[in-house]
Amino acid sequence: MAAVLGRVAELPALLALSRSALVRHWDAPALDRALEWARYFQHVHDRFRARPQLREALGRRLRRAQPCSPPLGFSALGRCPELLGLALLENRALPPAACRRLLRRLLLPPPPGAGAGPEPRGLALLARRKAAARLLALPRRPGGTEPRVRAEAQLLLGRLREEEAQEGAGAAGRPRWLCGVLERLPPPRAFAVVAAALALLGQGSGAEGAGDGDRDGSGQDGNRASAAGDGCIAGLLLSWLLGNRERFSAFCLCLPGSLLASLAGHYSQLSRSYLDLLTGWGSHLHYDPLQGRWVKSCLEKAELSWEELRERFSCLCQGSALLREQTQAALKLLKTRDGDFKVRGLSVWTDLLMEVEE
Amino acid sequence: MAQDTTVPKLNFEYWLDKAVEWGQATTLESQKDVCLHLPQLQEFLHQLYETLKDVQGSVAAIQQFPLIGQLLGRLCWNPFVIGYDESQKALMWCLCCLYSSEPQNPVEVKANSWICSLLCHLLSSSEWESNEAETNLFISTLGYTSADYYGHLVKNMIFSLVAELRENPFNGLNIQRSVSASRVNAVSICCVPLITLPDLTPLLETLLLYHGGSPKEILCPEFLEAVNEAFLKKKISLPDSAVCSLWLRHSPSLEKATLHLLDQLVSIQLNSLEEVACVIKDSLLPQAASHPAIFRVVNEIFKNALLETDGASEVMTIIQVFTQLFLEARQNQNEQHKFPLKAYFPCHHQPLVRALLRRPSELPTTSWSQHLKNISDMLKALVEDTNVSSLTDLFETWYLVTCFGEWLDIAAEQLLKATVQPDALLWLLAFYYCPQNENQQRTQAMVEVQAVYNHLMMLFSCTDLSLRDLEAAVHRIMGTEQCWNQHLMTDLLTNFLLFSSGGHLVAQECIYHITETTDTSKEVYSLLLRTAYRFKHHGEGNQRTVKLLNELLQKFTLKV
Repeated sequence: MAAVLGRVAELPALLALSRSALVRHWDAPALDRALEWARYFQHVHDRFRARPQLREALGRRLRRAQPCSPPLGFSALGRCPELLGLALLENRALPPAACRRLLRRLLLPPPPGAGAGPEPRGLALLARRKAAARLLALPRRPGGTEPRVRAEAQLLLGRLREEEAQEGAGAAGRPRWLCGVLERLPPPRAFAVVAAALALLGQGSGAEGAGDGDRDGSGQDGNRASAAGDGCIAGLLLSWLLGNRERFSAFCLCLPGSLLASLAGHYSQLSRSYLDLLTGWGSHLHYDPLQGRWVKSCLEKAELSWEELRERFSCLCQGSALLREQTQAALKLLKTRDGDFKVRGLSVWTDLLMEVEE
Repeated sequence: MAQDTTVPKLNFEYWLDKAVEWGQATTLESQKDVCLHLPQLQEFLHQLYETLKDVQGSVAAIQQFPLIGQLLGRLCWNPFVIGYDESQKALMWCLCCLYSSEPQNPVEVKANSWICSLLCHLLSSSEWESNEAETNLFISTLGYTSADYYGHLVKNMIFSLVAELRENPFNGLNIQRSVSASRVNAVSICCVPLITLPDLTPLLETLLLYHGGSPKEILCPEFLEAVNEAFLKKKISLPDSAVCSLWLRHSPSLEKATLHLLDQLVSIQLNSLEEVACVIKDSLLPQAASHPAIFRVVNEIFKNALLETDGASEVMTIIQVFTQLFLEARQNQNEQHKFPLKAYFPCHHQPLVRALLRRPSELPTTSWSQHLKNISDMLKALVEDTNVSSLTDLFETWYLVTCFGEWLDIAAEQLLKATVQPDALLWLLAFYYCPQNENQQRTQAMVEVQAVYNHLMMLFSCTDLSLRDLEAAVHRIMGTEQCWNQHLMTDLLTNFLLFSSGGHLVAQECIYHITETTDTSKEVYSLLLRTAYRFKHHGEGNQRTVKLLNELLQKFTLKV
């Protein structure tokens, strides 16, 4: 076992190497060895996946071997042939002889009787699915999560769940790598992914693993643990969102009201912060008697206009009963504080409440 | 680098022209054209790979096939080609063959680089989508590969398309909300290359069951055809309702399915009707035939097949088994969903239809002869009414009766076993084998079979039978000129051998004798198969008879 652990610790280095320019020294036999290592790791994964303690030990060993974020988990061992193969394929520094060997081993059908590398069948399926994604990418109707965003969210959740299952609550390193990962995407995309992930968690999509079906948690324990784990993950994502005011503000600006309302319905911290934010924006509006409507006091600030604000509040009131009550109570309170006017044009809260109660 | 001169010349110019014409297949016409050519293109790519296998490096390949680079390059950007069946494999194999392990000159170096970028385009990051680079970085940071990502992505896309199609049943008042016909059409054509991709099954099902408001078919015919092909070749499996819907919407598919079934059945060696029943059931046609529209099409095709083969006994047997399975399926239907009998047999005398549709198992065995007598009387009245019967009508009536051959087999058995007036049942059998009577053929047949019958009935309870006793009957059979008479009398005789007290002693010899000297072996074999099947199905038959049947059948399968 110690030998296995020692070898498994080599995986991050191998992957890093396969992405670096150092491969230019590789010849065909070196490539063969690398692919054999990948097969070995996959074999280790398959042997130990049903044995939780050994799985955790291997996972921990992997984490220790990687100083930076995000560490690879046990499931990465199972994906090793593809991880390595595709990384090498994309690496332009690989010399021709090694590259040719790589192509033959990855893509061509193995000669009968020889032990194969990563199944060529798996990569053909990938090419086919990629084409399918192109073919089925017909313009969609608005509403509902976009499939790409949802796929990214599923992968993110898969990773988070794997970490959760392995380390349990309170591992200090997690929030750091999460930030780093989310920052790889441009902000609007990152927000969409996090929103989709929260939506998936809210719907209780416990069955959706991350592709390789690694959710082999044992029966009831697994389910209970995963429900609790999902709660932790949601908390993690929410703290990333809510921890930074500007970030949260940008989040609420760029996502549609209906999506935010449904998230607010599931997560009470979110609904509170969201209402606070909307309150802040609402209080910056003032009434222009000449135009007969509410306008933003400063046009440049990243805030909502009256129409948008109204739309947001109505979405909230179309949500669950609890959310509707919460929203209306908040608006009533604000209206009262403002002077409890009944006529339009004096308090933005009066007007909003009137619109919303129609 | 040996080149096999027998390999057909690869038509590069043709395919390159096509590839240029198709581009990335963004217009409806180009999409339809690609779909039409996908199977041949795949064949071409396989042949190309076989040829390239022995070629080393790109320069040699380009010398042989100057257009290869252009062709492969263009095809890699056509998602219809990549998405189809195994074309993506063949393309990647060809690209691998072109890669040089020791590039000798800048051309080869460049070619290598080009090959790698094409493969990356197919497998990881590409410029098909604008923000793929960001996505790639994200997923690789998480430790996943494009394989995981696309696995999820395709499933999500299918899920959202299915949801979109399902939540918009045509609502006549709310046209904006319903999905537009052109969109559904576009979705259906884009699915054509992907039909055998397992992820797609939910979408296929939803599309097949989708009914927009338009009276015209909105799914494109290429799609319907391709789904039917894949289903018939057992490359995909679909729920019964989806297959039914497919056949109702697209009659060429139904026709193909029926002909495919006939081909299958005629080509397998029929050793037992259970096998036949199994194959027929798997085809889903009996179940689908609960829809009268489907039933009528299938019926017509069977009728034609019977005519074309001059009433071959194998085809008759197939039709009879099919009809039985159809009745079973119809029986299992919900009462509310049942169509009236008139829908299936619109042009026939309804009381006759009802009588024929009663399954033997629904009646006590003691009332079988009476039931058959009723059928015979009705039939006689219909057929002998000279005002009504034309030749076509006669054929249609005869065909109707033939479909329910089970009753006819029972008639023969009842003639021998039951103590009833034989005339009606004899007439029925005579009609079955000889429907026409313009030249008194049937009347003549009746006379002959009556004589044989009388002779056989005298010997029915004789336990000590010998071949000599049956000589008179056998002589008659061999002596008749008309084959229908031969078949009729052989039928009766075979039944006699199975069911009489002493028949088993001489059965083998007798049948051997007859089939050797006359052209009736196929008919006798079919009769034995049908009887064995009937016994199994209804749990009839005493041990001795069953044993005899099995022995006879064994002997036959060795011969036939």
